[in-house]
Amino acid sequence: MEEENEPPYTKEQFMNAEQEMTLLTQESLKQYRREYVPAMFAKMSDLTKLTLKSFVKWGRSNSLWPLQFGLACCAMELMDFGAARIDAERKGYLLFRGTPRQCDVMIVAGWVTKSIVPKVKRLYEQMSKPNYVIAYGECATSGGPWWESYNIIQGIDQVIPVDIYVAGCPPKPENLFGALMKLQDNIRDKIDRYATRGLSENLQGNEAERV
Amino acid sequence: MSIMRINVGPIHPGTHGVLKLVVDVDGDTVKNVEPHIGFLHRGVEKLMETRMYMQNPSYTEKLDYIAPLSWDDLYINAVEHALGVPVKEPAQYERVILLEFQRIASHLLWLGTFVNDIGQLFTAFMWCFRDRAKILKLLEDVSGSRMFYVNLRLGGFNKNPPEDFKERAYALCDYLEDKIRGYPDVLDANSIFMERTKGVGVLSKKDAIAYGVSGPVLRGSGVEEDARISHPYYVYDKIKFKVPTGSKGDSYDRYRVRYEEMLESIGIIRNALANMPDGDAKGMQIRLIGPIAKPDHIIMREELPRGEGIIYMVPDKQKPYRISLRSPAFINLAVLPKLAEGGRFADLFSIIGSLDLIFAEIDR
Repeated sequence: MEEENEPPYTKEQFMNAEQEMTLLTQESLKQYRREYVPAMFAKMSDLTKLTLKSFVKWGRSNSLWPLQFGLACCAMELMDFGAARIDAERKGYLLFRGTPRQCDVMIVAGWVTKSIVPKVKRLYEQMSKPNYVIAYGECATSGGPWWESYNIIQGIDQVIPVDIYVAGCPPKPENLFGALMKLQDNIRDKIDRYATRGLSENLQGNEAERV
Repeated sequence: MSIMRINVGPIHPGTHGVLKLVVDVDGDTVKNVEPHIGFLHRGVEKLMETRMYMQNPSYTEKLDYIAPLSWDDLYINAVEHALGVPVKEPAQYERVILLEFQRIASHLLWLGTFVNDIGQLFTAFMWCFRDRAKILKLLEDVSGSRMFYVNLRLGGFNKNPPEDFKERAYALCDYLEDKIRGYPDVLDANSIFMERTKGVGVLSKKDAIAYGVSGPVLRGSGVEEDARISHPYYVYDKIKFKVPTGSKGDSYDRYRVRYEEMLESIGIIRNALANMPDGDAKGMQIRLIGPIAKPDHIIMREELPRGEGIIYMVPDKQKPYRISLRSPAFINLAVLPKLAEGGRFADLFSIIGSLDLIFAEIDR
């Protein structure tokens, strides 16, 4: 009886269940992509592919959801950006979300201390890909007035890649509006950086790059 | 039921910045709150000792980014005492006017975020920011910058106010009074707002004095203490105004005190505008070698929007030898575990909001 009730997995497998599951999922995904996706795309005409890609870019650039995440002074201007005077909602920028998993844009507003760096890094990793980073203000761009401080890193680009820099101490909310419009242009024009980042735009690319 | 430990923050929309809280809860009842601070520490006191006197205002403004002018003014006031520079009379009146406008702007921002925290009243948020933008526009036209003004010089300002300053200030006062009197129609008539603030986070008069809190948190508990009256600076002793106080010391009283303060500030501005003499308000230009300070130690106190700020400064000849800051928000944060203990977990954010914390000033 005892032998029959024995589970079909070893104890080690049970302990590493999560890792096993991830490996299995990755294997099946790889197989799916290797076999079905190229076949699916081969059937499409060039015109369809072009339309599909431009449709993805259009949708992505017009629904940039920022992460509700303020560090210091510039966060006050970030609040003004969402309030009555600027009204960022008319361009589709404003749906400040509390969780990073629903967001596309991280606006780093304020000075970045050494103790907050791991948290910013983790938020960046938790955001759904492709995600974009805007360094808003002098402190996030280069350290600003705290350049000599022992506890400040000189710019967030030492930790995570930055797409747009906004200069000023603090920049006006209008400048942030301009920066997001610039980011929209970048997404639509598809400069090299974005071409190799997203999953959906990289279907024909190198196999090793995909997760 | 067993006690569960919850980690809140440091990046959390409800904490108004970067505050980490370790909360022990029993069901929905808060047993213990432990605030962890220091995520914005940058060593500002040490940095200020390496700069000349008139280079430091850009550091002091960033201590309190909701009301930058107030800390700036406190520092400049201390330096003026150290160097023995008198402030011109038109400049004294103008400083009082700008400081009170800054106080209204600060309280408006607090009100907008506070009501947004406790019940998603986004209408009030929009209203407060609409009115705050009008004040910032006036301050921008006076100083040349929207948020960090750096327009104070020894004995006055960097430039004279614009010619239509008085008319615009009067018009803005009328506009603000009209709009601010309309807020209770939305807030006090809203059952969500009333239920989440009345009787929440009660701080007794005895505890308020024992913890050393100041500003609207102290006055909400019924203590009539205001540095503008007890230690008057500039022309505050020539202007009559009330100090609004609460009775119970709950979140609603703290809201009410700040609300009445906004109306009192409008009265102060009108009074100062009526008595403001015409004349030159320009101060000394910034020079490489300025006046030399006497070796002494200076203690300056002023009523900031968040409470009583104190600067202790030991001046050297051309730059401060030692600066120590007493931040009102740091001491108001110390009372949070006392207020939150025994309450509901959801009320924790109502209490944090009602204390009006600012983390650049706490971490320094």
